Amino acid sequence: MRCIIKELINAFVSGTISGSLYALMALGLTIVYGVTHIFNFGHGIVAVSGGYFTWLFISRAGMGLIPATVVAVAVMFVIGLILYRTTLNPLLNTENWEFSVIIFLLGLGILWENLLLQTFGPRVKDIPKFLSGRFKLGFVRINYHEIALIVIVILSVVVLNFILKKTWFGQAMRAVAQDMDGARIVGINLKRTFGVAFALATAVTGFSGVLLATKYYMTPHIGWDWMVKGFVIVVFGGLGSATGAVYAAFILGLAEAVITLYLGSMWVWPIWFFMFLIILLIRPQGLMGGRTL
Amino acid sequence: MTKLNWKIIAVALAMVGVAVYPLAHGDMYIMHIFILFFIWSTVASNWNLLMGVAGITSLGNIGFLAVGGYMSGILAKQFGWSPWGCMILGGVAAMVLVTLLVGLPALRLSGIYIALLSLIFADSLPTILTQTRTITGGAMGLHDIPPFFEGMTRMQAYYIVFVFFMAMHAMIWWIIHSSTGLAFVALRDSREFASALGVSEYREKIKVFAMVSFMTGLSGGFYVHYLGDISPTTLGIEPFLLTIAMMELGGIGTFMGPVLGAAIIVFGNEFLRLAGTLRLAILGGLICATILFFPGGFIQLIGWIDNRLSRGRKNER
Amino acid sequence: MTLQPTETILELRDVDTHYGELQVLRQVSLNIKRGEVVALFGPNGHGKSTLLKAISGIHPPSAGSIYFDETEISSAASDRIVEMGVAYIPEARHIFSEMTVLENLRLGAYNRRARKKVNQNLDFVFSLFPRLEERKTQMAATLSGGESRMLAVGRGLMSDARLILIDEPSIGLSPLMKTAVFGAIQRIKTSTNISMLVVEQEVDYAKAVADRVYLLKKGQVVLERAAGDINKEEIEKAYF
Repeated sequence: MRCIIKELINAFVSGTISGSLYALMALGLTIVYGVTHIFNFGHGIVAVSGGYFTWLFISRAGMGLIPATVVAVAVMFVIGLILYRTTLNPLLNTENWEFSVIIFLLGLGILWENLLLQTFGPRVKDIPKFLSGRFKLGFVRINYHEIALIVIVILSVVVLNFILKKTWFGQAMRAVAQDMDGARIVGINLKRTFGVAFALATAVTGFSGVLLATKYYMTPHIGWDWMVKGFVIVVFGGLGSATGAVYAAFILGLAEAVITLYLGSMWVWPIWFFMFLIILLIRPQGLMGGRTL
Repeated sequence: MTKLNWKIIAVALAMVGVAVYPLAHGDMYIMHIFILFFIWSTVASNWNLLMGVAGITSLGNIGFLAVGGYMSGILAKQFGWSPWGCMILGGVAAMVLVTLLVGLPALRLSGIYIALLSLIFADSLPTILTQTRTITGGAMGLHDIPPFFEGMTRMQAYYIVFVFFMAMHAMIWWIIHSSTGLAFVALRDSREFASALGVSEYREKIKVFAMVSFMTGLSGGFYVHYLGDISPTTLGIEPFLLTIAMMELGGIGTFMGPVLGAAIIVFGNEFLRLAGTLRLAILGGLICATILFFPGGFIQLIGWIDNRLSRGRKNER
Repeated sequence: MTLQPTETILELRDVDTHYGELQVLRQVSLNIKRGEVVALFGPNGHGKSTLLKAISGIHPPSAGSIYFDETEISSAASDRIVEMGVAYIPEARHIFSEMTVLENLRLGAYNRRARKKVNQNLDFVFSLFPRLEERKTQMAATLSGGESRMLAVGRGLMSDARLILIDEPSIGLSPLMKTAVFGAIQRIKTSTNISMLVVEQEVDYAKAVADRVYLLKKGQVVLERAAGDINKEEIEKAYF
């Protein structure tokens, strides 16, 4: 009996950690959706790219972990901006844009994933952890690294919150998310705001990818898994709601950890499918339905 | 004196050509490619009915095919029933499963939900398949699935699938021009007015969804009884991308578009195979380029050529 | 016909607008002087809101030209027009419901010029609408109809505009609120040099505040008078 409780508690801890990582990744999705109403079907590959770019800078340019991460995130920001301006913005102005954007991003994601595969090869890559060593708190096993991850996520969320609420640009993004016409009336340039929101989301997602890669492993295809989970999380949290996404990430991360304990990790996909189905049946608008950034 | 439309002539000639091909030339490999074309074109046309006509962004249609195919194959192998019955049961199974699990919950919500749910649905199928190894053959898949009838030749298979292809497309044509198809046109032009007239968007979408999942599941049946095997790789990213490419390259929302696109992709797949590991990158890039620059696909191109020709003819007078 | 360059702040010359094939505004010409309040009357659906949208850049004209402070703005982007000093306050308030009253007002000062004068303008807005100051930390979604209308007007004022376009400021409000809103408009007129173009159905209220009136019927200007020279019967007759 005590054994089960031990396992359960460890699952809880593990679920909390993965939940926090998912939360950061889900925030990336939410920022894009909230502001531009684009659902980024290339989200997974963006996350993975953050990891790969960091790996690239560490192994080829000899940078330390932190500088490499910073540069990778900056690169992701620029890529997001360029991507938005050159391709997504013109698409948004066509009729049926919702559909075209989804297919376009899917195709682009796969193209990009394949290019990553060509460049980096299919074998698993490693990003060094931030801290090494582990300790035990009673029977709970945690690494220092995992604690570092949670701290980083908390800090990131605080920083994001600051950007959104205390900078002109952040407020502009919130305004666009809440009422596009109102935003136009106060003189906000929609195209520019969309672009920066997309770029910011890309950077955040790329950053979350680095963190995820340090906890799990990294191949070009793993982004797809992260992305699908991210989708379920943002729907559960309520499309467009940042707080909802964070709560949902923790709840679903914990649920995943506990269910995996009993059923084994093979059933991950059907589990997420059923969680999603149940959400849609019971409360499709999610936890914070209707609220936005 | 009616002006003969060169497009209709071209299509009629093509149909005749396809019909007599086995008798005229009958190369085994080319017939095989044609059969694949018949099947995939049906899948693409059905998918297009959902996406281009009914405006439902479904991303899981390959899953429908897989459900129908697996069901039919399993029934035929385990119980030895006639493939014809199994295929229909496969189609029904696909229709029921998919409409219940995906259609009913998601179609009453906005478009993004059905895209997500159908995607996750199709993504979960491989896991379920690998975990039910005893029935479904797991990762290795089902093999030695009986053909349509004992001792079937390729030419016979060709004609059977050809008739299926024509029948399915006639069905799709009928749906587009029926009250259901008109309902979608009305909804697209003016949603409020259509609702005021009593058009229930939800009901029409469920109808189309059920029909498409049935036809796609049925195609799955024809797929397995022709090829003899099916495995979780059919649910991989490549068939998915290829089918999307068929619709995009051909011209989404049109009737002939997916057929044209399927022809291009199935026959062009040979060249694609030469590219080796870059296949997926090229496919992805092709889809992106088409959406950005030629969203109407080949049909748009043909329409543009048609325009030029008729303008030229007008100038001559 | 030449206009005194320093006197006119807004001029429309032969403006047409279309929604697809449908023509809404026909050859509309009007002008507004600095510090002037101009009322725009007319039956519903005859182009009054469209006119404001044309000026603010939300739905640009298909023909003709619009000059703000002698600069042509006919094809300018709406955020550029706000930057130049034109504020548009539509009938549907479009306030940010998940932000506080204060955040809404601050966002009104989004354009670069207005950012430097946030506190100054905030004081002015609060002096006009003390209710808003009382509720400044409340979520905008909790405001009543009249209060949210005040917030919309206040937010428009925060943009440091020299020309304010208001679409039906008193619609749907109680008589008490109507008086409050028009009182505010009157105070803006007397204490600042801001010009205003006010679309209204409440002829009496608008007439009391306006210097001149225009009447728009079927997308055309059919009447232009000084506010004192026109009476209610004449306006009502022109409606039909």
